[in-house]
Amino acid sequence: MRRLSGSIAGAAVLALALSACGSGNTATTGGGGGTSALKGTGTGDTCKITTPIPIGAVFSLTGAAASYGESQKKGLELAAEELKAKGGVTYDVKIEDDATDPQQGIAVFEGFVTKDKKSLIIGPTLSNTAKQTDPVAQEGKTPVLAVSNTAAGITEIGDYIFRDSLTEGAVIPQTIKAAKDKFGLSKVVVMYSNDDAFTESGYQAFKKALDANGITITKTITFSKSDTDFRAQLAVAKASAPDALITSALIEAAVPLVTQAREVGITVPIIGGNGFNSPKLMAGAGKAADGVVVGAAWNSASSGAENAAFLTAYRAKYSADPDQFAAQAYTGLKLVDAAVRAGCSGEREDIKKHLAELKDVPTALGKFTMSATRDADTPAVVQVVESGKFAVLK
Amino acid sequence: MAGFLDSYASTITFMALTGVFAYSFYAVLMAGQLSLAQAGLASAGAFTSSLVVPAAPLFGVIPRLVVGIAVGMAVGAALAFLLGLPVMRLRGVFLAIATLAFGEVVRILLINQSWTGGAQGLSFPKLVGIPEAWLALAVVAYWFWRLGGSRLGRALAAIREDELAAKAMGIDVTRHRMISFVTSGAVAGLYGVLLAYFVRFADPNAFGFSTAVDGLVTAVVGGTTLFIGPLLGSTFLTWLPELQRAIGVEAGWIRPFVSGLLLLLVILFLPGGLAALIPHRRRRAMAHPDAPPDLPPLPAPGTPIASLRAIRKEYGGVHAVRDVDLDIAAGEIVGLIGPNGAGKTTLVNIVSGLVPPSGGEGTVVGIPLGSGVPAHRIALAGVSRTFQQIKLFNRLSALDNVLVGAHRVSRPTLLRRMVLLPSARRDEKRALGQAFAQLTRVGLADRARLPAGDLSYGDQRRLEIARALAAHPTLLILDEPAAGMNHVEAHRLSVLIRALAEDGVTVLLIEHNVRMVLETCTRVVVLDFGEVIAAGDPATIARDPRVVEAYLGAEDDQAEPA
Repeated sequence: MRRLSGSIAGAAVLALALSACGSGNTATTGGGGGTSALKGTGTGDTCKITTPIPIGAVFSLTGAAASYGESQKKGLELAAEELKAKGGVTYDVKIEDDATDPQQGIAVFEGFVTKDKKSLIIGPTLSNTAKQTDPVAQEGKTPVLAVSNTAAGITEIGDYIFRDSLTEGAVIPQTIKAAKDKFGLSKVVVMYSNDDAFTESGYQAFKKALDANGITITKTITFSKSDTDFRAQLAVAKASAPDALITSALIEAAVPLVTQAREVGITVPIIGGNGFNSPKLMAGAGKAADGVVVGAAWNSASSGAENAAFLTAYRAKYSADPDQFAAQAYTGLKLVDAAVRAGCSGEREDIKKHLAELKDVPTALGKFTMSATRDADTPAVVQVVESGKFAVLK
Repeated sequence: MAGFLDSYASTITFMALTGVFAYSFYAVLMAGQLSLAQAGLASAGAFTSSLVVPAAPLFGVIPRLVVGIAVGMAVGAALAFLLGLPVMRLRGVFLAIATLAFGEVVRILLINQSWTGGAQGLSFPKLVGIPEAWLALAVVAYWFWRLGGSRLGRALAAIREDELAAKAMGIDVTRHRMISFVTSGAVAGLYGVLLAYFVRFADPNAFGFSTAVDGLVTAVVGGTTLFIGPLLGSTFLTWLPELQRAIGVEAGWIRPFVSGLLLLLVILFLPGGLAALIPHRRRRAMAHPDAPPDLPPLPAPGTPIASLRAIRKEYGGVHAVRDVDLDIAAGEIVGLIGPNGAGKTTLVNIVSGLVPPSGGEGTVVGIPLGSGVPAHRIALAGVSRTFQQIKLFNRLSALDNVLVGAHRVSRPTLLRRMVLLPSARRDEKRALGQAFAQLTRVGLADRARLPAGDLSYGDQRRLEIARALAAHPTLLILDEPAAGMNHVEAHRLSVLIRALAEDGVTVLLIEHNVRMVLETCTRVVVLDFGEVIAAGDPATIARDPRVVEAYLGAEDDQAEPA
């Protein structure tokens, strides 16, 4: 027994030592070094670059955020396949897992920046991870395209950080505006979970948009993201007879909240943030979900040829419907391709320059323009649940 | 090498940081405490430091990070102390739950404060890189390395192995547990500050339950009995994902699966953690141990040592001891006999302070007995004992067991060891000399290196006596020391006890082997149903009809228990 344990542990130690030695050798074999291998001839659709552009992607494929990461991976792989078929410029996409752990995210980013010399990094999945990983890329002068971060303070990290995901701050004003036009809101109750970065920034955006539209907040009620019983708070909300119930919550809380709101007799519209933008809402809350208004960066019912093509291709490849995360990741690589072709170069500085100049690019998310602050400028879709389905609010 | 450092800068830094965090668990685990408060303490340290770290070096010379570390460690230690006050009495899983709850309280509190940025978190400047992280780890590791061989380190290990025995050796268990708790808090605070100023961002949710469990796993995988353990644990766990990435294991579920599997293997086959793979270094000093130190003389023969008046003890309705009067004078060997359940062990537990009497008065080595008197005070005053059920520190070597026994007569060495003062080494050698002398006295010098748990039953009995003797006791209490010994061994023990008495040690001996008691003791006290039914010199007792009826009638059966 003793001998066995000794040899197993010995092997583990040996393996560690080997890895430490081995990894030194694999460094700096990427296409970096600042040579012109990543530059090609032609421009736009005629651009030809012989070397595949090295792209790194960091998603949460395991751990708490794995369900998002899985969708992102599918969307990204679909885009890479399509671009390969198109030809001219190809992408060597390496998808890595951060295990929903910022520490691993940092390590992977560092490898992409320093060792693998990726031309651009897509990701990471979560905003709070991005706040720790993106400074690594900024320091290493490697452009990052965030495809799911919605919190404030991401692109502010530096001029190498871009994103194609609409922030809550961009979606919510459009949601409130549309809801006000439709329902004539004048006073509302706001409920949000204050222990989650995403829902908390959603609340901030709601508050700002409500103030801007001259809508009174009669009550603000907070809860924890792990709560499942909201009847007491909902009774308080109902007592002030609002025109609508504004909520910023993750889907896990959204389902019981909506269900119980209808139970206690709140019949006014419930307006949710991006956390509500999931088929799980209708699956979980059933009929209670009818009348819920959700603003989103993307909706499968959105019009546009690119979106239709994306839906068809995705369904054909995966035999399932895509979600917003897949659409944004898919669009991400397409935007990178647009930037690469614009300068016909896969160099970091060139990609950075041309990402910033993207304007009116037709994508699955609608017409995409990179704003001056390197954020997405695309139209949001305001949806309402009707008979168990998201429909565009008109 | 430079390329390696660049490519893996963050992993190398995390290796150090994870190591520091693991040490905060090691600090309590080495004293046998399972605390999960460290994540909360780290969080409190990190966020508090953000309030005080100046924009430029303090007074132009003190680096910003040093200010942060000082504050973070102070906050961690202070909070650990405050938490320790109410929870220090808890043990095992109860302590784990209480500390876990504390961590959750800290998280909820911080998330609802505006100065922490709430759930959005807070940005920190980058002040930590490989040098800072590794320097911090080196200092922490050095601390625990020097702690290991110090009197404090041995006391903590003794508490981990057997709290009651540690108490009986004069170790203030509550105080020592608090020391380890506060140390853990300070190290956790250090970790929090280093992490935040390395990753440049922290949010209270990142210091939750899973963080605490990660730290615990790192410490346990590395090993909690050797100072190098946390470092090994962090090496293992930090490089595991990198290693899998390097050898091309596909990203996804297979990686956590492999990590979990390896973790399982380590725990299954290396219960002592990775540190168990490191061969124990032999102590050079043991070849030529110093002569035993000069110790203060024991009381002159005839001096009163213990005096009990109408001492009682009730457990519920059961009268274990009723109105016992007992006087012991220096130089005596008092035998305490009586049938099973006569109250002998309860009586010596009262004398050694482990059990407070329900009534009556008593003084032992100048300390009045009572519920407010902790056992270690009586031990420190000069009462040393063995137990009916052997209570050794099983995972410590025989020598270390005896060194713990010498706690009372040795001086604290930790701080002097930290700065490598030669006087600390002299004190350690003196304690070693004392310990070796006792091992030689009971005939175990050749087994000094063996773990106590590996010794034979008879050797364990003798080791317990050696440990008790190392305290240079005024009163030595032996609770059935000859149990399980044959005639020859019992006779040798008897000779040893008489030799001790000649050296001035007063002995209180509980024993079933009546022949041995009669041959060893100067006076015999007989208990039955909690009462003294006879007392006197051995010859008188052997003839007393009440004693014969109550006890000696069964001599043939009980003289030599199997």
